Amino acid sequence: MKVKYMKVEDIEAAALCLLAEYGRKFGPVEKPPVPVEEILESHLGLNLGFDDLPKMLKAPDVLGATWVRDRRVLIDQSLDPSVHTVKEGRYRFTVAHEVGHWELHRHHFLDNPAQASLFETTPEPSIVCRTSSRKDPMEWQADAFSGYLLMPKEMVFSAWKERNGSLDHYVAEKEIAGLSARWGLAEDERPAVDIARRMALDFKVSGQAMQIRLIGLGLIKTEDPGPGLFSG
Amino acid sequence: MPGNKEFGERIRQLREAKKKADPKFSLRQFAAAVDVSATYLSKVETGQFAPPAAETIKKMAKLLGTDADELLALAKKTDPELGNIIREQPKAMADFLRTAREKGLTAEDIQKITEKIRQGKKP
Repeated sequence: MKVKYMKVEDIEAAALCLLAEYGRKFGPVEKPPVPVEEILESHLGLNLGFDDLPKMLKAPDVLGATWVRDRRVLIDQSLDPSVHTVKEGRYRFTVAHEVGHWELHRHHFLDNPAQASLFETTPEPSIVCRTSSRKDPMEWQADAFSGYLLMPKEMVFSAWKERNGSLDHYVAEKEIAGLSARWGLAEDERPAVDIARRMALDFKVSGQAMQIRLIGLGLIKTEDPGPGLFSG
Repeated sequence: MPGNKEFGERIRQLREAKKKADPKFSLRQFAAAVDVSATYLSKVETGQFAPPAAETIKKMAKLLGTDADELLALAKKTDPELGNIIREQPKAMADFLRTAREKGLTAEDIQKITEKIRQGKKP
């Protein structure tokens, strides 16, 4: 499905708006973790469930799916954190990703009569989220939304300040090189540094997701800009 | 194990009604509160899995603020407490129940007798 281009600022605003709406109803969310299941189930009133999605939808890499008209979201059971505790981060990211589809894309399925009738007569989900379709614009937008919802800027800044005493950035170049060498990682695989992994525990996200957010906010730099770059 | 759609739908209905006002009734929190996994609860609700043990159903009923006997009946189970009650007075209690059935007592008849006993009027 073709979706229109969205600016990242607009995606971030949509995520923050949703979090604020949840806060008005159930009490403000000031500290991590963001209650993403409660946002989906209690605030949006969607039905959440687990199933064997690769088997159900006959595709090997499905992590989540949304049935817009049925107001139903299913997550693959391999991510159930009450069975596999180490999957908590990926599970929450997937739930937030489906929330992103609901907020940003549901109107495509509700307003479009062709789509609507197609999905009304079949048990097929409106949106199927596969790891292999991450580059699709709709999937990319839902991923971005998920990051903004689980790790809101202000919450990340105050958590960083609490841990480090200031908002100064951390140059992680050496630590990343050291970790890569130790684990024998390829150059394009970037391991999560210590501070990202520790903050990930508070936000209940993966170390990778936390690190990407911290780099995006300029709190972690992967290259030392060097002293003379801006002064000279 | 074959599931029970009717039981699952009832649980889901009760939980959905509660969760809109109270996030404690979200799938995962409710599953944790009754000591089952979220996947298991989800599949019970969709009727893919059979209902849980009677004790778990009683816990669910208590949290959902509903009658445990209604849920147990939907799950085609009996409260394990009833077994104990019969075992305490095996002859008399069994005789009491069998007679009630033989005489074709309706639910209403039984309710009337129960009410009398409750008010302290021993026959």
